[in-house]
Amino acid sequence: MAWDLKSDRPIYTQLVEQIQLMVVSGVFPAGGKLPSVRDLAAQASVNPNTMQRALSQLERDGLLFSQRTSGRFVTEDVRKIMKTKNSLAEGLIRDFMRQMTRLGFDGDQTVELLSRMTKEEGQNG
Amino acid sequence: MLEKLLKYEIRATARTFLPLYGLILLLAVVNRALFQSAANQMNLFNIPRAITMTVYVVLIVAMFVMTLVVTIQRFYKNLLGDEGYLSFTLPVKTHSQIDAKMIVTLLWSVLSILVAAASIFIIASDADTLASFSRFCAGVAELYSRYGLHAHLIAFEVVALCVVDFASGVLHIYASIAVGNLAGRHKQLAAFGAFIGFSVVEQIFVLIFVEAFGGSISGYFRAFHYSSEYFPTAPVEIALLGMIAYSAVFFAAFYFITDWILSRKLNLE
Amino acid sequence: MDSILECRNLVKYFPGCLALNSVNLSIPKGRIVGLLGPNGSGKSTLIKLANGLLTPNAGQILVGGAAPGIETKKIISYLPERTYLNDWMTVQTMLDFFSDFYENFNRAKAYDMLQRLHINPGDRLKTMSKGTKEKVQLILVMSREAELYILDEPIGGVDPAARDYILDTIISNYSENATVLISTHLITDVEKVLDEVVFINMGSIVLTSTVDDIREKEGKSVDSLFREVFKC
Repeated sequence: MAWDLKSDRPIYTQLVEQIQLMVVSGVFPAGGKLPSVRDLAAQASVNPNTMQRALSQLERDGLLFSQRTSGRFVTEDVRKIMKTKNSLAEGLIRDFMRQMTRLGFDGDQTVELLSRMTKEEGQNG
Repeated sequence: MLEKLLKYEIRATARTFLPLYGLILLLAVVNRALFQSAANQMNLFNIPRAITMTVYVVLIVAMFVMTLVVTIQRFYKNLLGDEGYLSFTLPVKTHSQIDAKMIVTLLWSVLSILVAAASIFIIASDADTLASFSRFCAGVAELYSRYGLHAHLIAFEVVALCVVDFASGVLHIYASIAVGNLAGRHKQLAAFGAFIGFSVVEQIFVLIFVEAFGGSISGYFRAFHYSSEYFPTAPVEIALLGMIAYSAVFFAAFYFITDWILSRKLNLE
Repeated sequence: MDSILECRNLVKYFPGCLALNSVNLSIPKGRIVGLLGPNGSGKSTLIKLANGLLTPNAGQILVGGAAPGIETKKIISYLPERTYLNDWMTVQTMLDFFSDFYENFNRAKAYDMLQRLHINPGDRLKTMSKGTKEKVQLILVMSREAELYILDEPIGGVDPAARDYILDTIISNYSENATVLISTHLITDVEKVLDEVVFINMGSIVLTSTVDDIREKEGKSVDSLFREVFKC
């Protein structure tokens, strides 16, 4: 599980995104316990204070919650996780659309190209 | 903390001296074997004898030279070299560092003298020398009983004088190295220059002192009545005290200079 | 008193050179701070002053509220750029040495790190390569439970794998009661680990900021900003 952190964006926002990704993809399953701040920071090779900020943000967003003595957990609210998954996906699609526009494709052309390629992928298995 | 500094300072230097001592004592035994026994008669041993004696003498000289070399080297390397980054960030007072090195130097110097004496004893002792030695001891004991308390006082003063004088010498070296380190380049040359400079100052001080007080001092000593039956102890005691005071003043000056430079003018590269 | 290191109008000059020009700085507890600047900027001077290896000409430098002395040396764990190990010792003797002089030295942690890096405590320091000696020195420094760690170029001469290990050690060593001050040129490797950075140049503080603030406001990494600010 490698943390992919770019150097020109704030670390804390990238950590928020990466953890969201890990929750959504099941690396941190719903209701599951998270490693300690220190362990997460060590895995990501980042400052524990920055990791703490990211985790606090996610708690405010409702994706994580903490119990004082037991630690930090992923929410059991599956709908919340799905919402996060969708919003991440929407973000990716928006970026994708932006890039396709730069190439000169409009919305319909993009959708057509996309469905063609998806069918090909399906056939090739 | 001083004991801890002493512990490691001794450990650092023992590796040089202990083997040397062992070698000297060993060679003393070998020399005794070759010179004292019936082998003395056999010309067969002439060449080996010359070799072992030469080696022995060389080692004795080396031992005393080593004491000086180690004194300088430990101060320089451990305090003013890269190791200084460790030495001066330890939670100890600066003067403790000076004290530790000075005490350990004194230790090895005394041991060196003892080892030299012991080796000579090993080589040269026989019925005659032992007899002369016991006569000498008897003579000293007789003096002691004649002069009683004064004899003890004088003996104590002599020892004190040796220690203070020695310490003053060591601090003279340390102060020179410390001053030398203030120079930007050619630190060793500057240290050497400082050493000479301090010696000159010492001499000037003595000259001035003698000029000012020489008259009254000789007057004082002349006032005593000296005979072969009873030698007045007071002038001896006073004279020794004076010499101790003289060495002590310079010891204090060198100590202060060294401590001040290492505390406030330290600049490790 | 929330700052572990404080400079108030700190001035230090040498013959022909004003190293620190009335510096004011306050570094809080529980942070990992980068002290960044080109050669001759005053970084080493500041570090030596904090350690009591130099005395100020004017102004004050305070560690934990006190001027540098025996008490501050107890709570500072300093890793200089040079190797300060006593050559004649073995690693084991060096551990004993640190235990003897520092109450807050954690022997068990030191042994653990030595083992992790495959260093044998029985080895003589004289026989070790420069890189291994640097690792031993780092282990000794990081094994102390200090309040202020001052690391001068900790990853400079080490291979990339060891670099990661060192940074991970710094991270996992982190505590809210301790502060780590890292002085380095290799900003890219170290950026993610820093809370804040202090840019220093020609004896003056040029910039203090958190890493994320710089990335957000400038849209670039601290390393890129550094290159801009200190362009030759």
